[in-house]
Amino acid sequence: MDEIRVTIDGKQLSGHPGMTILELARENGIDIPTLCYRPELSLLGACRICVVEVEGSRTLVGSCHTPITPGMVIHTHSPKVLETRKVIVELLLASHCGACFMCDKANICELRQVAAELEVGLPRFEIKKRYYPIEDVSPYIERNLSKCVLCRRCVRACRQIAKRDLFAVAYRGFDAKVVVDSDRALDKEACRDCDICISFCPTGALSKPRKLSEEKKGKPLVITS
Amino acid sequence: MPEKRIVLKNCGVIDPKNIATYLAADGLKAWQKARQMAPEKVIEEVKAAGLRGRGGAGFPCGLKWELARKSPGDEKYVICNADEGEIGTFKDRYILENDPFTLIEGIAIAAYAVGAKQAFIYLRAEYHHLLDLLTSAVSQSHEQGLEVNIEIREGAGAYVCGEESALMESIEGGRGEARYKPPFPPNRGLWQKPTIINNVETLMNIPRIILNGAGWFSQTGTEKSKGTKVFSVSGDVARPGVYELILGSPLRELVIDLAGAEKVKMVQIGGATGRIVPYTMIDTPLSFETILGAGSIIVYDESRDTIDIVYRTLEFLAEESCGKCSPCREGTEAMAEILARFDRGEGREKDIKVLEELARAMSISALCGLGQAAPTPVTDSLQYFREDYAKRIKQGGKVRC
Repeated sequence: MDEIRVTIDGKQLSGHPGMTILELARENGIDIPTLCYRPELSLLGACRICVVEVEGSRTLVGSCHTPITPGMVIHTHSPKVLETRKVIVELLLASHCGACFMCDKANICELRQVAAELEVGLPRFEIKKRYYPIEDVSPYIERNLSKCVLCRRCVRACRQIAKRDLFAVAYRGFDAKVVVDSDRALDKEACRDCDICISFCPTGALSKPRKLSEEKKGKPLVITS
Repeated sequence: MPEKRIVLKNCGVIDPKNIATYLAADGLKAWQKARQMAPEKVIEEVKAAGLRGRGGAGFPCGLKWELARKSPGDEKYVICNADEGEIGTFKDRYILENDPFTLIEGIAIAAYAVGAKQAFIYLRAEYHHLLDLLTSAVSQSHEQGLEVNIEIREGAGAYVCGEESALMESIEGGRGEARYKPPFPPNRGLWQKPTIINNVETLMNIPRIILNGAGWFSQTGTEKSKGTKVFSVSGDVARPGVYELILGSPLRELVIDLAGAEKVKMVQIGGATGRIVPYTMIDTPLSFETILGAGSIIVYDESRDTIDIVYRTLEFLAEESCGKCSPCREGTEAMAEILARFDRGEGREKDIKVLEELARAMSISALCGLGQAAPTPVTDSLQYFREDYAKRIKQGGKVRC
């Protein structure tokens, strides 16, 4: 098959037709942060964190969904790209509930990891927080949509891998929300022993309900003066 | 340059309910002529005319058709974008109300040129009252022997569905959300088949071009903007309405001479995501090279407040963002909230810097045209009316706690 030659960050690389910028970059050890992208799932292009600069293009392009074309000159970490990524992560954090210190997933949170890598601290944007009551009706899954970043990985995983298709997106703009049925609390027997969406959630929005009998081992931290 | 009626030639002349009146006014002659030509020749003619899309982006129409024609596949589609959602536009409504037959003829020629058997008219939900008129016009035209099957699909009231990929999602029965590009519609559009999607006004030009020739069409207009443009003028003007002008005509002629505006402070060209120009730029020619948009012209006089206008515009865009990509979903909301603070007299100096940074990031990273153009009113007003922001900060008002 014909090889496509492109330049990424000054390096001459070649890939096969149909390959995306992200795939080629990752194959060659160039890291581009992503949030909504998962190789197992269909492409979406929603989070825009993976944007890169392509010379000659008016805007930045999403690297996860843009196929390479011959002669492309790509910058994955130019000042323009980094600034844009930072603003996007800052925006996501600004409406995020932000209580990382009491979040079960704090240490495996991809949003937090991306923010740390981009050195984003407290967001400067004062916008309202997303607040939704925790959905803990189901014995198999607990949804805390205040922590949701709308990457739709759960929607796609449930549809494409679990083949159950329970989730959908409802409402528009800032009010957009991943819902079940007509925005009802998730309470489905189909969720039993599945956990697929939980493993795909980048934040603490989806988790397994905690059982009282499964207390953490070890002594609690007690500070004595 | 004077008003010139190319697109609106039949408006008010024919009876939109009766195709006989249209046939008497050279109706369907262009379609008959086109069918004598090879499809490639039709595309060549449109390309030579230099017709550019009238929906705002100004993509060369002939090139779009050529891409779709060359795309492999038997099943191709033509979509007419009648989801005229931009704030202050009503030109497509005027066209649909008065001359639906020319539009249908344009669709038939487009379908012939690209090799499509199925066409859709995506009608804005707010234009539901036009459905009966349009349905009757389509069936009357079908009786004249059109090969293409035209189906009318109604929207459900989403601004973003005027964006081509969101429109196609909506026709397919999905949620009206933009898709990532590439692939572009001429390669993979509706149901992943080659599709051309044109604005109502673009398709209105087609029968004229075919009948009178590309040379006739390209005589008018500027070097890169050929033909005329239909404008909807509203706001603080004495005579609001639909006007058709040769491209390259100065804004002054439209706003002051024709519409009769006085004491103009600013003009919003192209609707919510369009440009805002101050009175000092009133002599700017209206063309694709300078400023155009979809033809919405909203005039504000000196009694209007800049912050008020920008805040309301951003509030609208935050409401209409589809919520798919994060820069648009969160960014429009953040901008609307900052501007709300300005509106309450609680704006701060640092907010302006935040607005500018947000605008820069959104305009280059958002998924579709809505998010990319959403910061335009903010950046333009900051460029030309920065003192209005400063005034609001100084006034203070309520005390923040």
